[in-house]
Amino acid sequence: MKRYVYINDDESLQELYCDNQISNRKYTVLNFLPKNLWEQFSRFMNQYFLLIACLQLWSLITPVNPASTWGPLIFIFAVSASKEAWDDYNRYLSDKKANEKEVWVVRQGIKKHVQAQDIHVGNIVWLRENDEVPCDLVLIGTSDPQGLCYVETAALDGETDLKTRVIPSACMGIDFELLHKIKGVIECPNPDKDIRRFDANLRLFPPFIDNDVCPLTIKNTILQSCYLRNTEWACGVAVYTGNETKLGMSRGIPEPKLTAMDAMIDKLTGAIFVFQIVVVMVLGIAGNVWKDTEARKQWYVLYPYEGPWYELLVIPLRFELLCSIMIPISIKVSLDLVKSLYAKFIDWDNEMIDQETGIPSHAANTAISEDLGQVEYILTDKTGTLTENRMIFRRCCISGIFYGNESGDALKDVELLNAVAGSSPDVVRFLTVMAICNTVIPVKSKTGAILYKAQSQDEDALVNAAARLHVVYVNKNANILEIRFNGSVIQYEVLETLEFTSDRKRMSVVVKDCQNGKIILLSKGADEAILPYAYAGQQTRTFIEAVEQYAQLGLRTLCLAWRELKEDEYQEWSLMFKEASSTLVDREWRIAEVCQRLEHDFEILGVTAIEDRLQDGVPETIETLRKAGINFWMLTGDKQNTAIQIALSCNFISPEPKGQLLLIDGKTEDEVCRSLERVLLTMRITSSEPKDVAFVVDGWALEIALKHYRKAFTELAILSRTAICCRVTPSQKAQLVELLKSCDYRTLAIGDGGNDVRMIQQADIGVGISGREGLQAARAADYSIGKFRFLKRLILVHGRYSYNRTAFLSQYSFYKSLVICFIQIFFSFISGVSGTSLFNSVSLMAYNVFYTSVPVLVSVLDKDLSEGTIMQHPKILFYCQAGRLLNPSTFAGWFGRSLFHAIVVFVITIHAYAYEKSEMEELSMVALSGCIWLQAFVVALETNSFTILQHLAIWGNLVAFYVINWIFSAVPSSGMYTIMFRLCRQPSYWITMFLIVAAGMGPVLALKYFRYTYRPSKINTLQQAERMGGPILSLGNIEPQPRSVEKEVSPLSITQPKNRNPVYEPLLSDSPNTTRRSFGSGTPFDFFQSQSRLSSSYSRNCKDN
Amino acid sequence: MEMDTNGAGTSSAAAGGGGVSTSTSDSSSAAKRNSKKPKYSRFTQQELPACKPILTPGLVITTFTIIGIIFIPIGLVSLSASEHVVEIVDRYDEGCVPPNYSKNKLAYIQSSLTNKSCTRTLNVPKLMKSPVFIYYQLDNFYQNHRRYVKSRSDKQLRSKAYERDTKSCDPEGFVLDGPIVPCGLIAWSLFNDTYGFSVKSKMLEVNKKNIAWDSDKEHKFGSDVYPKNFQSGGLIGGAKLNSSIPLSEQEDLIVWMRTAALPTFRKLYGRIEEDLQANEQITVVIQNNYNTYSFGGKKKLVLSTTSWIGGKNDFLGIAYITVGGLCLFLAVSFILLYVIKPRPLGDPSYLSWNRSPSGHPN
Repeated sequence: MKRYVYINDDESLQELYCDNQISNRKYTVLNFLPKNLWEQFSRFMNQYFLLIACLQLWSLITPVNPASTWGPLIFIFAVSASKEAWDDYNRYLSDKKANEKEVWVVRQGIKKHVQAQDIHVGNIVWLRENDEVPCDLVLIGTSDPQGLCYVETAALDGETDLKTRVIPSACMGIDFELLHKIKGVIECPNPDKDIRRFDANLRLFPPFIDNDVCPLTIKNTILQSCYLRNTEWACGVAVYTGNETKLGMSRGIPEPKLTAMDAMIDKLTGAIFVFQIVVVMVLGIAGNVWKDTEARKQWYVLYPYEGPWYELLVIPLRFELLCSIMIPISIKVSLDLVKSLYAKFIDWDNEMIDQETGIPSHAANTAISEDLGQVEYILTDKTGTLTENRMIFRRCCISGIFYGNESGDALKDVELLNAVAGSSPDVVRFLTVMAICNTVIPVKSKTGAILYKAQSQDEDALVNAAARLHVVYVNKNANILEIRFNGSVIQYEVLETLEFTSDRKRMSVVVKDCQNGKIILLSKGADEAILPYAYAGQQTRTFIEAVEQYAQLGLRTLCLAWRELKEDEYQEWSLMFKEASSTLVDREWRIAEVCQRLEHDFEILGVTAIEDRLQDGVPETIETLRKAGINFWMLTGDKQNTAIQIALSCNFISPEPKGQLLLIDGKTEDEVCRSLERVLLTMRITSSEPKDVAFVVDGWALEIALKHYRKAFTELAILSRTAICCRVTPSQKAQLVELLKSCDYRTLAIGDGGNDVRMIQQADIGVGISGREGLQAARAADYSIGKFRFLKRLILVHGRYSYNRTAFLSQYSFYKSLVICFIQIFFSFISGVSGTSLFNSVSLMAYNVFYTSVPVLVSVLDKDLSEGTIMQHPKILFYCQAGRLLNPSTFAGWFGRSLFHAIVVFVITIHAYAYEKSEMEELSMVALSGCIWLQAFVVALETNSFTILQHLAIWGNLVAFYVINWIFSAVPSSGMYTIMFRLCRQPSYWITMFLIVAAGMGPVLALKYFRYTYRPSKINTLQQAERMGGPILSLGNIEPQPRSVEKEVSPLSITQPKNRNPVYEPLLSDSPNTTRRSFGSGTPFDFFQSQSRLSSSYSRNCKDN
Repeated sequence: MEMDTNGAGTSSAAAGGGGVSTSTSDSSSAAKRNSKKPKYSRFTQQELPACKPILTPGLVITTFTIIGIIFIPIGLVSLSASEHVVEIVDRYDEGCVPPNYSKNKLAYIQSSLTNKSCTRTLNVPKLMKSPVFIYYQLDNFYQNHRRYVKSRSDKQLRSKAYERDTKSCDPEGFVLDGPIVPCGLIAWSLFNDTYGFSVKSKMLEVNKKNIAWDSDKEHKFGSDVYPKNFQSGGLIGGAKLNSSIPLSEQEDLIVWMRTAALPTFRKLYGRIEEDLQANEQITVVIQNNYNTYSFGGKKKLVLSTTSWIGGKNDFLGIAYITVGGLCLFLAVSFILLYVIKPRPLGDPSYLSWNRSPSGHPN
């Protein structure tokens, strides 16, 4: 269960653990063919076709040339095999690139450049700034004297802020040179995929005197795929390598996704297969009976009296082969083809191009477009998905004066600009705090412009805003900061940085003004973490008002404050701080306590308001999709208040009178259980009311609920159309998706960051937003889009059309195969049930492959309703969601139609071509052309919109049928020499064709018309309205159109001013576990209080019960 | 409408428009935009101009009316053409068995000693214009039986070089002396009744030339392929062939080898190239050789004239009139339905979503 990693021991560990070769490949050159064939043949359809193809090799039973099955079969297999091969080759190339990357590794005490794949467990790996970490390392040294380094873990968990990692205490202070020679042993668990946990021990060997066991945590590691940032160098011991790293273990092979439609098609195929078996058995028995009674009398057949042992099987097998076309071999090829075209339409769609970046939408998975039309649940990330994840400084309130209220942008507010120009001391101090109270590092680019490297987007926004207001943070040199203001440079020396934690909700810096030697404390933080600590006598009412006002606008607020420190006060505190910083037990808590001692008696300078804008069109998109019957869940790592606030502003939940928010909380099992039951009860009661009820759950409660009360939570999930899950981890997101999937819901997960990757992979459909958090989500997703609002179009237009088209195409494929198969069956009754094929091999093959597949393929252009109509009536998606267009009953309709058409063709043919005209070849061509004519008209009748391509395909195909057959008829050696010429000269042939068409299509048309007019579906009604410009469309125009975001926010917030609780919060803080552990229940801050405040107002209803 | 960013008709440029913050439109993204933007075409945007017909009452009623109006005359014309065909059908398999064999017809037909001649008299009901086609009709004869229909070798028939290509001819492929030409059950069971016609003691000339398809004579049956070992095995099937005449000229065989798709079929025997007057008595001397008695098949002699629609077959005419009539009936009922129960198309009252469970399908 444990692994012992001997540091820097070149001999012992080479073979014990795998090297660092990453492999995402599925195949090798050698096993490709067998493995791929095995995979393909594990599908029932393929096994079936292979069996048929093998049976056809037996000439005694085959009705047609075996090539007619083998050809398409081999073609299909070759296509999918080469696709797999190509994908795998690309994976190989990307692996190779990663594997052959050069890294510095210590070998025999010397730093060497080796390829990443040659790293072994126990090796010491050296990284420089901005290097990607090649494998999981335990830090042993960094350039920072305090042993810190910064890593960006976005690729691992999607969190974009920089994380600090620290070297273990045992390695503290080891000389740079000695790091090469360090020896020791790390005792660590076997590889797992938990990226938050690493419980290990380190013991260094002499001469590194520290002989004690030193505990290691995840804080001491840097994991594969992270990037080293803002740290000159770092080195660490490889503990997990190759596919055994935390990343590699959590990678997993994403399962191929099967759409609901595919599943339905498979089911129908199974039904047809059963039907086929029944037919074969019946006909087989009938054939054998007929043979024994009648055929013996037919002397010209010369049946031998003693047959071989398998004689009884021959006729059933013949019928099996005759009926094998019931399951069309072409359906898979056709479906693959149209599916890739659906994907192309998504790629090509001009209206889904992100205008800002010019990135078009992309469908990486070409096989699941239909599922888009059947989505029932959308699980969405918040930051970067609903919001732009771009913080912009919008307003501020400085010593009671509001700036930016008129223009909505403080940077353009003339008053503020004047105040800056006039060096108003309050404003300058305010701006100074904005500029330097942070952990931002300014970097001069080559062009001379200053770029800021910020851990949080909020700080980035503030520093940039300060720079725009002429307080430019120019340089940071060791501990000296430089600020340029109105042409003069002011220098500050940073004495201490009191870092932000999500519990303190504020951060401070202590600086010394280099001009006058004053020591100043600069702070910024959430209102409740700053305002109560104002010095006695300061009026904070205006600031509270400002905070309220900004919060109502959906802005994130921060309060800025400062205080001048006395020299001795600072010195005294500084000692305490140093001591706290070096404690081993509960360090975080101790530090917080010490900070508290300094952070009081603030002079409040003002309030800033930062906007994390909702993306354009988010409220409208959510509203439209909810109208379409799709349920939304928001899964976010962010805190509850922020999540609720965003949810309100984007129509996710409705404000109080119309909507109701139920809270599931609690820290213990009992609490969670109670609140879950309470919510469930309320939910059951209100489920009949037209009220938007949503529940809110946080990660902690969710974990308990999923673990112990899964059943109750599942019921809740089914009842609730909306849910907000905050503070959830990536794996919890995936679990929620799993939960909904287990209830047989079609889920779509949309997200933009690496922390959404698992949920995206887990969901039926994963959509990634190629946003600012990088491309991990977009890469892992089935679809990547530039903006959240494209989701509307993706689902309503592309998903819906794809569903409709595939529904038609698949059922039609069965229909056309059944028609020809029924004719064969009918013919067998007049051919002595002997299994004669009426049609020749060429016709049979061409029927499925050419004659009938081309017209139906252009159904990919069919649109039953125009895009505008769908957008106005999104509820029409219900037909797709409920699978109204492809289900056993619609299929039964097609089945009946094929039976009817087969009867029409067969009866008319054998009667019109009776007696002297009953020549086999002619009759077979008459029947075949009858089928082709009917196909053309069936497709035409089922087509809703004819473009030029459809006309070409449908009627051109009919012409092509004759041309092809004329060509065959001109070849003397072909079976049908001159047949088609003969037929085409006969008036009776054409008369027969028209009769077949009229008799076959008349009832179908009449029935369709009747239903269309007197039993119209919603789709029909909309079609009628759309094409006649009826009242519905004009009604749609009156409907309130999407309003601007500003308007959207303000009326909502008025109803719920109390719950606005905007606080400064990094995008994604550390895991809740760590903060809980360190603070326990003694938290001085009101995280849980705020929750109870929430619950009191939201779940009033529950308490009444 | 102007804010409906994804709605139909609004240009794609508007989609990214309204209120995007200024900092985004820097030059680098503008450059990207040009390079990555897919080319616009109406096909890729699924915006090809399309005609979207809907089933309005007018359209449907008109269609059915037109079909009815066209079909009924065609039906009448076909029916009259079929009525103009004069056809004499005479079933002779029963009548040509001497009464003493009527209990054991099989013995009669299989015996080589019995007299197979048989005389039938046919009455011409109406004037039959030349040419009068002579067919023999077999009922309950499965030329389309799988075992039968496959038992031939097209290659062997076509050319002498493939004489030994008799794989598919089993069980009539080989005799001890070598391959049978033409091989297979079809050829082996060649029909061998013959007919002699006379009117008022005057023999009627029967033209047996050009009864087979020219294409068969020229391409399917070789002029260098002569019958060989035919009907020389233990079992004698049907007719024998003159081994000095190449297959391409054995027209009876060629006609027979065009297998029929139905168990009741007629095959051309020859033509009488003179008019037959109404009420004339035609005497037919039949050599009744072919065995249909074992399986209860009927044999009929058919004399028929022809028309543009072919032989006498009322099916098409009746079917056309029926279909046409039904179409008119449908048209009328739809009109009535429309008048009695008018229903405006696209009525929004049918769009009330509340009537259907719009929420959860499951």
